[in-house]
Amino acid sequence: MNFPILSVTLFAPLLGALLILIIPREDEQTIRRVGIGFAFITLILGTIVWILVAQAGAGELQLVEEYSWIEGFNVFYRLGVDGFSAPMIFLTGLLTTLSLFYSARTITLRVKEYYLLFLLLELGMFGVFMALDLVMFYVFWEIGLVPMFLLIGVWGGPRREYAAIKFFLYTLAGSVFMLLAILGVYFWTGSFSIPEIAQMAATNPIFPVGSAMGVAAFWAFFIAFAIKVPSFPFHTWLPDAHTEAPTSGSVILAGVLLKLGAYGLIRITLPFFPREFHYFSTEVPIIPVMAILSIVYGALVCMAQWDLKKLIAYSSVAHMGYVTLGLAAAAAGYEVLGGEEAFQAAASGLNGAAFQMFAHGIITGGLFFLVGIIYERAHTRELKAFGGLASQIPYYYGVMLVTGFASLGLPGLAGFWSEFFVFRGTVYFLEVAAIVGVLGVVFTAAYILWKIVQYIFLGQLDEEKWGGLQDMEWWEKATMWPLLLTMVFLGFYPTPLLQSFDAAFTNLLELLQ
Amino acid sequence: LWLLSPELVLLVTGLFLLLFDMMVRPQEEKSWLPYVAVVGLIAALIATITLWGCEETRVLTVLSCDGFALAVKMIAYVAMILVVLVSDAYIQRQGSYQGVFYMLLLICTMAISLMAGAVDLVLIYLAFETISITSYLLTGYLRYDRRSAEGGIKYLLYGAGVSAVMLYGMSWLYGITGTTDLVGISQGLMVVEESMRVLLFVVMVLLSAGFAFKIGAVPFHQWAPDAYEGAPTPATAFISVAPKIGGFALILRVMLTMVPRTEFWNMAGDLWVSIAVLTMTIGNLVALWQSNVKRLLAYSSIAQAGYILIGVVAISPRGVAAVLLYLLAYALTNLGAFAAVVAFSNQTGSDEIEDYAGLHKRAPGMALVMLVCLLSLAGIPPTAGFFGKLYLFSAAIEQPSPILSLLAIVGVINSVISLAYYWKVIRAMYFLSSDEEERLPVSLSLNVALGVALAGVLLLTVFLSPLFNLLEVAARTFFG
Repeated sequence: MNFPILSVTLFAPLLGALLILIIPREDEQTIRRVGIGFAFITLILGTIVWILVAQAGAGELQLVEEYSWIEGFNVFYRLGVDGFSAPMIFLTGLLTTLSLFYSARTITLRVKEYYLLFLLLELGMFGVFMALDLVMFYVFWEIGLVPMFLLIGVWGGPRREYAAIKFFLYTLAGSVFMLLAILGVYFWTGSFSIPEIAQMAATNPIFPVGSAMGVAAFWAFFIAFAIKVPSFPFHTWLPDAHTEAPTSGSVILAGVLLKLGAYGLIRITLPFFPREFHYFSTEVPIIPVMAILSIVYGALVCMAQWDLKKLIAYSSVAHMGYVTLGLAAAAAGYEVLGGEEAFQAAASGLNGAAFQMFAHGIITGGLFFLVGIIYERAHTRELKAFGGLASQIPYYYGVMLVTGFASLGLPGLAGFWSEFFVFRGTVYFLEVAAIVGVLGVVFTAAYILWKIVQYIFLGQLDEEKWGGLQDMEWWEKATMWPLLLTMVFLGFYPTPLLQSFDAAFTNLLELLQ
Repeated sequence: LWLLSPELVLLVTGLFLLLFDMMVRPQEEKSWLPYVAVVGLIAALIATITLWGCEETRVLTVLSCDGFALAVKMIAYVAMILVVLVSDAYIQRQGSYQGVFYMLLLICTMAISLMAGAVDLVLIYLAFETISITSYLLTGYLRYDRRSAEGGIKYLLYGAGVSAVMLYGMSWLYGITGTTDLVGISQGLMVVEESMRVLLFVVMVLLSAGFAFKIGAVPFHQWAPDAYEGAPTPATAFISVAPKIGGFALILRVMLTMVPRTEFWNMAGDLWVSIAVLTMTIGNLVALWQSNVKRLLAYSSIAQAGYILIGVVAISPRGVAAVLLYLLAYALTNLGAFAAVVAFSNQTGSDEIEDYAGLHKRAPGMALVMLVCLLSLAGIPPTAGFFGKLYLFSAAIEQPSPILSLLAIVGVINSVISLAYYWKVIRAMYFLSSDEEERLPVSLSLNVALGVALAGVLLLTVFLSPLFNLLEVAARTFFG
């Protein structure tokens, strides 16, 4: 048997958490070191996993591990990654490491619990990206919930309690119905295996054609994931949670947790229910409408925000709308996949969606760090309170500019490619949606330039108020640089990431054909 | 007689405790009594394990020794070991008659054992009454405390009434079929005349009243909150678990031996489906308004009984196994939660949720166990409670009947509601701050109980497969 690298990666955070558990709470330095150390190990392991997958062929599920878990019930401990999940694992490792590194100097309250919960959260996220069994998927999905809930609730801002419970209830409400749908799928197919069911669903619908059960199960899965994405109208938990969470919590929330929802849509909902997905993307275009509303509405709300953190939170709603849109485009193409051109367009929609997941993780993660950095100094996030900071904190200004430009999709930075591919797919299948959706890009440029750049950095500097403002410390720079480099690198050379995604999605679409 | 060894061990240990309680005068020298009780329970547990896998046999014609009975016994013994550990520190502070408390626990455990295997209405009734009477006594154990006495009396009056009703139903059954043996009754029912159908329905309702009382199901649940609140907290832990195990053993045994083979299952089935829905919903909704942690857990355990009923009405091997698994998960979880409640009230003398504020600073370990147990009660993975519910709901969805699928959906909705009140406790422990900063010490036996419960709730996940296989073997007792 080969070395079970996925299991090792998956449970490394748990091991770290257990280690932290036995370190006395007074010894905060050791706790921090162990926490960051383990996060870094998972980053390395995640990188190795990605390399291994790329070498072995990113189209297929690689490094599969399978053991029986609950026999009478066909539940398996089943892990595996392909070109789609491997980059997500890398992203999780990267952002967790940076978050813990950044937290080492910003979190002083109850350090032990903080690091412990963060590593448990990482365990949950890894599990979702690796699980190939629906029960496992669900278990890890929920494992991530409690640590995040406590991170918001204990270390959050003034309204943390409300935000924490709202986050928890929204996600839970969605996921319990997903659980019922999982059971329903199991009793119709006799399997919990995600690839197996996808295989079956490709030839025959899981549920009898025309029965309400298929539609109900589709929506159960879709809504559970759409809440997490979050797609309009299920997005209302997000601004609260993001705004109240501690900086690193927001980074992980925006950077990885939202991706869990999008990941579920692509990994489960689309292959399990291609017909329903197609139907609700074309004949009854609920899904494209949700995506468009997320993009346009999210962007418009951003324009009206005066709280920097809230603005970025809403920008997540808009940006994740592109993911849903790309997905809807691919689903809309389901019936015409025969042609080469249509196939390419559908693949491009999916590639764009996945690329956006990755890029948004890097970019918005960076933006939340930047919010945290200025809030630590100024103790306000009110845009109107700032002005003219460009000369006071030039380094910060530069970093913010690059990240902001990446966010609005400037060519040469990571955000550009995701929008490019999403719209390439969308134009082919859903013209109207593409046209309306492009408006979102314009709005994004507007709020980044007008609200963030102009209100914070340009104009007259209030010497008295901000004269003592310090520029970024070395450790803040060290947190941002890996993200900046990734943005620029992907902007100029998106090929490795794209190839990885493309291989996985070509396989998925061929299966659907 | 060997087959009776677990019960005999319990009886002997119980009597031993009673004797020593009377003979040894100085109270200080009695602190080892609970350990005797634990040893007795462990011995009974080992005896049961050695019996596992034996042929299905009748003992003295009224008692069956089969996989189901043995599984129930094991669950009951594990639960009672925890109860004893939870009780130790509390009972020691009460002074006199410590031995009696443990004696009652052991006698009740023995009655549950008998209930698990009873196949004759007479023995069933005897076991039922023994469980009830010991429970009343434990509830009213604090003789000088008004609430304890009130809870005990209420429980007693309610129970006496309901058991009379059940006995009445049993006598009808005897009248119809001419036997008290469950197998005999089920054969007798198969040939029953058309005109007797209505009568059978009445019998079913009468019997169900007794069953519902024992597990604390709606509409026979009103005794629970007062008894829970008034009883000494370890006794509350006990009555939240032990009678339920006995009650569910009884329901499964009676229902599955005689009911499915006659078409009168249809009536009983519908009756119990509605009881399940009402129990879950009312338990959860009323729990939302509670401010006392014991009352909150009382309503929560009413709701839990509703979930378990889902597995009962599924009438399938998997349903039975799911009920057993959930009983085990529930026992571990609820006792873990009560261990924390007892530890808290030992130190502060309070059961109000608002006093739990800031507990995570004062006793991090205790707060953690409480958190995990509450999440398990709400059914959040990866706890035992989640997998228990997974099995229960899947047993229902598996059946072709759409009513059962709906029942599972009701169960899911209820789980979400339940989170709202478990949240109140979590909120107090983790989010509210209090003026009290001093740390709370926890006694050794309580620490053991907390640790065992925590380990059980989390590790059940890992051993799910072998465990469930065992329970399915047990469930096959009823399904050939």
